[in-house]
Amino acid sequence: METLVQTDQARPVFGNGLKANKLKATKFGGKLVSEYWESVFRAKEEGKKVVWYNGTYIPPFFHSHDLVWVHGEAWSAMLAARHKEIGAQGRSDQRGYDRELCSYARTHIGQMLIELDKVKSGHHAMAADDPRVETMLKLPAPDMIVNAYPYCSSGQQWDDITYRTFGKKIPMFTIQIPLLWGGRPDAGYMQGEEWEERSRYVAEQLFALTKFLEENTGRKYDYDRLGETMSFVKKAAELRLEAMDMCTVHPSPASFFDWIVSIAPVNFLPGDQNLVTYFEGVKAEIAERVKTGEGAVPKERHRLFFDGMMNWNKVGWLADKFAQVDACVVAGRYTHMSFWQEPQLIDLKDPILGMAQNYLICPNNHGAPIMIGEIEKVCDKFDIDGVVCHASRTCRGMTNAQFQIAGSAKKYGRQAMFFEGDVADESFYKDELLNVRLEAMVEAMDAKKRAA
Amino acid sequence: MQDILDRMRQVAESPLDYAAEWKARTGRKVIGLLPMHFPGELAHAAGCLPVILQADDEPITVGQANIFSFYCGYNRSLVDQVTRGALDGLDAIMFGDHCVQLLGTADIIRDQRPDMPILFNQLCSVLDADWAMRETRNTFVQLWKELETLTGQPIPEETARASIRAFNRSRGQMRELYRLRKRGEVSITGRDMQAVIKSSMVMEKGEHLALMDRLLAEIPRHAPSQGAVPVYLSGHLCHAPDPAIMDLIEDCGATIVNDDLFTGWRFIHADMDDGLLPAEAMARWYVDKNRKVPCPTRATKSQDWEDYLLEQCAESGARGLIVLMVKFCEPHMYFYPEIKEAFDARGVPHLLLETEHEEMPMEALKTRVETFVEITKRRSAAEAA
Ligand code: SF4
Ligand code: SF4
Repeated sequence: METLVQTDQARPVFGNGLKANKLKATKFGGKLVSEYWESVFRAKEEGKKVVWYNGTYIPPFFHSHDLVWVHGEAWSAMLAARHKEIGAQGRSDQRGYDRELCSYARTHIGQMLIELDKVKSGHHAMAADDPRVETMLKLPAPDMIVNAYPYCSSGQQWDDITYRTFGKKIPMFTIQIPLLWGGRPDAGYMQGEEWEERSRYVAEQLFALTKFLEENTGRKYDYDRLGETMSFVKKAAELRLEAMDMCTVHPSPASFFDWIVSIAPVNFLPGDQNLVTYFEGVKAEIAERVKTGEGAVPKERHRLFFDGMMNWNKVGWLADKFAQVDACVVAGRYTHMSFWQEPQLIDLKDPILGMAQNYLICPNNHGAPIMIGEIEKVCDKFDIDGVVCHASRTCRGMTNAQFQIAGSAKKYGRQAMFFEGDVADESFYKDELLNVRLEAMVEAMDAKKRAA
Repeated sequence: MQDILDRMRQVAESPLDYAAEWKARTGRKVIGLLPMHFPGELAHAAGCLPVILQADDEPITVGQANIFSFYCGYNRSLVDQVTRGALDGLDAIMFGDHCVQLLGTADIIRDQRPDMPILFNQLCSVLDADWAMRETRNTFVQLWKELETLTGQPIPEETARASIRAFNRSRGQMRELYRLRKRGEVSITGRDMQAVIKSSMVMEKGEHLALMDRLLAEIPRHAPSQGAVPVYLSGHLCHAPDPAIMDLIEDCGATIVNDDLFTGWRFIHADMDDGLLPAEAMARWYVDKNRKVPCPTRATKSQDWEDYLLEQCAESGARGLIVLMVKFCEPHMYFYPEIKEAFDARGVPHLLLETEHEEMPMEALKTRVETFVEITKRRSAAEAA
């Protein structure tokens, strides 16, 4: 095993020092994300109403009603990815939110408090050249709050706090997306009485959401428009899955990290032609790589599955780290088992039930046996050698079943390891521990291959 | 009277031993219940012994292989208990709560004890939703059916109604003890109050009712005493606080006059309406109780925990608030800053104590509580002057 070397960037590089061979087509997503935030920042000028929401991929409901939406998690992830989260987390810490609380929530709440401080004092307390000022000045306050968080109670409580922080004056609508426990005899992935019942229950709440939007805008909800929006989303989702399927080849043309940067288009960006164009681009580049045998990792020797929430301030860092030990993280629970994962369920003429069902099958919303069964299918399909579990300190929504996931990986002859980090709080990330454990895992995978 | 409290303490400290003896004696089933919202009445009506599962005193050892250290002590203890086989005497577990950590624990229990029936039915957590009553009723009806399947016996409505009445009476007895304590007419330590409530979460109802009748009759009445600083205890949701914390608070010169602990007032404050159909009564009880004692694990827009606490402190004559927070308890961590701000704004002394399942730094806690009691005393004296 090669040891740590120092690069000219004075950044400790692990293993062979190589970098991940990222897809180029995803750059278009960066442009779309920037445009999206710009449109959010312009919302008030354009006289548009703004919804703050958290949870599952409900923006098609807002888009089809000409609303602007702020996705709290995306906001926190964006701040973290741009390394601007510290100030926001500091402000929430100052109000007494414990650092063991979901760091997505802490970042979002902290940012909101900074906004409100400004409103209250009539000016902002930071130096004018503070890089945070620019973004903070722009985030429009909510006219409505919608919460639709599958599985995680923390996600629901986070919006309760948002509601309260704005003085309980902003209309709020909470959708309950109950866990599919899968305990009844007929239970299975997308089957059984529980699945049918829960699908209807969530669909009913989504229908009530459209009524809530009508009440708070004074405009009639246009269901045809929802079908139209969903036609783009559905097409994009299909293209994404087709492109993912092409990564069963060795070496894998794209990695989990490419799919991570491709989440925004299927999660919260506006449902229009751009989504389709984005995934057409991704798929075309992957097809080209398949033809030429180009891999996402320069010298792929091992194929890994990533379990857990993304460590948003470490996306590039981790992509390179795995590439440096010739390991391609091919798939992950967060990327490959979520975000319009079953587009065929969506009937464009009457999309609400299929949308509800896609929200319900977000991967952590299944009881462990069904969820782990689905993970095993993904691991088999992509010929995975090992499972890496990101024990994200403040996100129990994603750490809950990880010991069982690791156990299942081992049972089926795969290596499994954990590393400590967090969704948006960098202080929990332990680089050295990851290095040591990753080296040990790679060695074990090497030994297994030698023995075979 | 001491023999009553001793018996209650013994049961509270070894609930699973009590349940095992009961099962051996009666040949009936024992159902573990998870906090904080499942009606024991239903399991009782099914002829079973409902036992609200508690964290035990053992340090987390084998359980570490199944749960991370950054989960609340209650979850870690439950996982440890199931991993070391301590829950093997249960015939089923009933839950479906909303706290994300408990959902993880449910799966670990299923994984560790695949043969143990888990009657999992998730409750609606949005209590002011239009469909909250309907969904809750459906959940309890489903649970009703699952209990019938488990025992192989129908649960007649009249039996369920009788269980509701017995539980109402039990809660009423404990509320009476709370009332007497609040008025200063009886002295009962925090430790003993815990024994009263926790034993009611385990004991066969008839036995607890009889003990409580005796306790209420025998506990000495006296005129309100002066001296100790009256405080209100808040927090500690699913997890029962270590009685040593109660001792510490009282040893520092405070007296606990009221609380909203789950192993306290939160558990006993609301009755079910025995005039309604039982499933309806249970649903109503669940949906309404948050309006009476706000719970941070539920979403009810109109409720403010901090307002409730301010009101309750004033009403019970408490001069200060001690918040007991279970380390890693997310619902509590979200809502604590508002409590702190509200108490600061009103100038009511308050103290946050974070508790852990494992060793707590008792000496350091003692210094903090002593200082708090001193401040509270001084402030009360200044107000009186
Ligand atoms: S804990 Fe995780 S799943 Fe829950 S709200 Fe936070 S980021 Fe989302
Ligand atoms: S509500 Fe708090 S005490 Fe209860 S299980 Fe959840 S984290 Fe633990």
